[in-house]
Amino acid sequence: MKKFGANPLLWLLILAMAILTACTNSDSNTNNESSTGDSGEKKEPAKTEDGKVSIEFWHAMSGTGQESIDAIVKGFNESQDQYEVKAEYQGSYEESLTKLRGVGGTKDAPAITQVFEVGTKYMIESGYIEPMQSFIDKDNYDLSQLEENILNYYRVDGDLYSMPFNSSTPVMIYNKDAFKEAGLDPEKAPETFSEVIEAAEKLTTDEMKGFSMLTYGWFFEQLVATQGGLYVNEDNGRSGDATEAVFNGPEGRNVFDFLDRMNKAGTFGNFGTNWDDIRAAFSTGKVAMYMDSSAGVAGAINNAPFEVGVAYIPHADEVKRNGVVIGGASLWMSKGIAEEEQEAAWEFMKYLTTPEVQAKWHLDTGYFAINPKAYDEEDVKAKWAEYPQYKVTVDQLQDTVPGYATQGALISVFPESRQQIVTALEELYQGKDPQEVLDKAVEGTNRAIEIANKTKK
Amino acid sequence: MKTSLPAKIWLYFLLIVTSLCVFFPVLYAFMISFMTGPEIIQGRFFPQTFNLENYTKVFDRLPLLNYLLNSFIVSISVMLGQLVVCSLAAYAFVFFKFKGRDFIFFLFISTMMIPWEATMIPNVFTIRKLDWFNTYQGLTLPFFALAFGTFLLRQHFLTIPKELHEASQIAGLSRFKFFWKVVLPISKTSLVTLGAYGFLTTWNMYLWPLLITTNQSVRTVQIGLKQLQSQEIATEWGVVMAGVIVVIIPTLLLLFIGQKQLQKGLSQGALK
Amino acid sequence: MNTTGSLWKRSVNGRTALLYLLPSIILFSVFVFYPMFRTIYLSFFLTDQAGNAAINVGFENYQYLLGSSEFQNSMKATILFVLYTVPIGIILALFFALLANEKLKGIGFFRTMYSSTMGVSVAASSVIWLFMFNPSIGMFNRLLQTVGLPQIQWLLDPEWALLSVSMSTIWMNVGFSFLILLGGLQNIDEHLYESSRIDGAGYFYRLRRITLPMLSPTLFFIITISLINAFQTFGQIDILTKGGPSQSTNLIVYSIYREAFVNYQFGTASAQAVILFVIILIVTILQFKLGERKVHYQ
Repeated sequence: MKKFGANPLLWLLILAMAILTACTNSDSNTNNESSTGDSGEKKEPAKTEDGKVSIEFWHAMSGTGQESIDAIVKGFNESQDQYEVKAEYQGSYEESLTKLRGVGGTKDAPAITQVFEVGTKYMIESGYIEPMQSFIDKDNYDLSQLEENILNYYRVDGDLYSMPFNSSTPVMIYNKDAFKEAGLDPEKAPETFSEVIEAAEKLTTDEMKGFSMLTYGWFFEQLVATQGGLYVNEDNGRSGDATEAVFNGPEGRNVFDFLDRMNKAGTFGNFGTNWDDIRAAFSTGKVAMYMDSSAGVAGAINNAPFEVGVAYIPHADEVKRNGVVIGGASLWMSKGIAEEEQEAAWEFMKYLTTPEVQAKWHLDTGYFAINPKAYDEEDVKAKWAEYPQYKVTVDQLQDTVPGYATQGALISVFPESRQQIVTALEELYQGKDPQEVLDKAVEGTNRAIEIANKTKK
Repeated sequence: MKTSLPAKIWLYFLLIVTSLCVFFPVLYAFMISFMTGPEIIQGRFFPQTFNLENYTKVFDRLPLLNYLLNSFIVSISVMLGQLVVCSLAAYAFVFFKFKGRDFIFFLFISTMMIPWEATMIPNVFTIRKLDWFNTYQGLTLPFFALAFGTFLLRQHFLTIPKELHEASQIAGLSRFKFFWKVVLPISKTSLVTLGAYGFLTTWNMYLWPLLITTNQSVRTVQIGLKQLQSQEIATEWGVVMAGVIVVIIPTLLLLFIGQKQLQKGLSQGALK
Repeated sequence: MNTTGSLWKRSVNGRTALLYLLPSIILFSVFVFYPMFRTIYLSFFLTDQAGNAAINVGFENYQYLLGSSEFQNSMKATILFVLYTVPIGIILALFFALLANEKLKGIGFFRTMYSSTMGVSVAASSVIWLFMFNPSIGMFNRLLQTVGLPQIQWLLDPEWALLSVSMSTIWMNVGFSFLILLGGLQNIDEHLYESSRIDGAGYFYRLRRITLPMLSPTLFFIITISLINAFQTFGQIDILTKGGPSQSTNLIVYSIYREAFVNYQFGTASAQAVILFVIILIVTILQFKLGERKVHYQ
């Protein structure tokens, strides 16, 4: 009797398994990238039904950015009949990178992945990727048509490893109406730290703070770089593997003192780590000047019920302005996938860099055009006439003095270091000593660098 | 038993005020989902007009209907899977006497204390090795076994009189028949409860579906919510809130319909 | 059961039981126990950038964590968070459940309202609360402004951030606790009340002497679940504060996530996970030991 009792149970289990297998079968039709042939030496590219080579493009752009990407990809797919690109959103940069680690270097990897700028070193060392340079050389692609100051960031030892994509720099955005009310010249924004401190003093009212900055490591890096300061040793990690952080030097100290002075004087507004919060603060008149990404300029102008000015980021009084470091993300091509897929990826990247596409991208999102010819397109000219503020962002980028400082630091543990800076800034705003919090951030970064160097093969 | 009039008024007052407070955030999101950008900045509560622009934008931007369908498939599969797996386990714990039963039970319960985030990364690699990326089984199977569910059902099975078990044995009912014909029907409320609980928690899952899908074929609605918010470029709050409303409506409806059953069954888990 | 048979025969019960338990055991082994052991294993290593074990460091990760102020801070934040959310959340839910247990016209509507938060996902509710907390356009500060009170930097002030997150968490959990407690209340035998009313006992006397003791198993159950959930909070932190400001909301699960996903330090992330597991285990055992004595069973 008891022996018999197990039978229906087994039957139930089998049923459950059958249902599951049924699921598997119906799925394999919909995801063709995992069913690509894996037998034999030569890898077969994934193909669509009508014989086009089909590749995936993983990105981390949500909201408006995703809309624009989808439109651009559609444009590419319709422009030719050999390749089919599928753009797939993968979550935040971190989440997307986590997934890439799952498939990196295998046939399941997407042909193109968008990775944030601070992941550059990590990607180069990962072994997942095909350097962009090999296709540039093979195809004799003319790199000089692209924006030099953007390429510099992604160039390591003279080779371009990835194709710059969404690129932005910081700018200072200010409320012109508030400037007028405070008796300041709305056409001349403050340029140095002490000028900003003075202006902030005058602009601060009961309702409004003078200056603010998103609590985000990127802005700190920029304020250090524009003074010509380095973030890590070994020429910002560009001449060799960096072994320690140096951002607690005089340049970093200048930045923290600058923020500390305004914070103590009550002219600094802290609006946290969320992009939307600080923007809402600006457009509701809670802060008169703030640092934002160039990609946020359009939104700031559109949402503000007052006149908006855009200016270069400030620098310390005693030094010359060096300019800004590129931020954003670039596109990486995978290694270990079929050659045809790599070619498809390369074709798509070339398409992306055309002036027309870059003009669209620039207009849709506010990110820079990596091909400066895009700025000559009629649409862009029209938009610039309407929003002269846009031009400031491009000017600032093109005025940047090339050098190790403005090329940006290259370390694999950048995300962690940025987190350290965020903590340091938050503690600074709570009234802690600038040098102390800065040293702590350096210490944390050094530990991360040390572990990364130790575990590297 | 009658409640006096002043007490009644007082009770209604409390009920109205507190329930409104509880429901307020949902209401607020609902209002904002109809507002334009400037209206939101002004900080109004009621939109000037109820325009549906944000909703059309949401549906334009994302294959939301597809996501909704996937969410349903995934949630229902997990629900059914949990019912089968947990009821079998609970049955074994209650109606079998065997060596190490308490130990295994404790082992099961201890899984409740393992933070899911801590096991997530090895699990992503497991799913990848099984080649289950972008599949329904990758989204559902890891959740079929649920300590909470086993516990809930066990508690209910324990209330079934032992005499019933003995009688069925005398009547010559097999173990499985007893389970299928007697235990499950008696425990209907608990099963419904576990089902609803499983459905809701799966519907609300967010990080796991994001990590093991790389394209839209099996993505669920919660990911859509994330896709609506931007980072460097300004977020359109109206559109995001419209997304929120679309995502929560099915679960709210389910809750409104099944509320009575749910509360009846959930409480049974707590009874010994 | 025949106890004189062979071992094989005697174990028939166990073997059949195993069959019933098999699906659970397999799934738990693959998706819970295996990763947990892997986590324990990794906690003794420094990992390379791909997340593989690279250098065996013994207990160094644990030593580092126990000595690091960040981790201590994270522990403190987690414990505070549990203390803020669990008692208040349950008292609030109990209060609602007591209200909703009255036999009044239209009570079903109110019950639905109270339980509604259970139908709102963590992702969705966090987005709503994020907006309400917005320092410039959020509802809370608007409200303070109209009443003439000073503005509060809900999520930006380290003094407030954990409270704000706790507030939203209490809201998210109240629906579930409410449903369970209401169910428990409805299971209490009406006769108990009737006889006490004849004795002329007041409302609060009845609450203390009848309702709460009779409800204690349900309360015990919901406290256990709430505690475990509170220790494992993740979603709202990710959306509302990302662990900031000044690490004040860097709850341990979030810290694990960040260590693993952003910093790729699987070694320390794993060590944190192991410590968290041990803590939850101890709390749960303590709770069972203390709770069982106080719980009144019918």
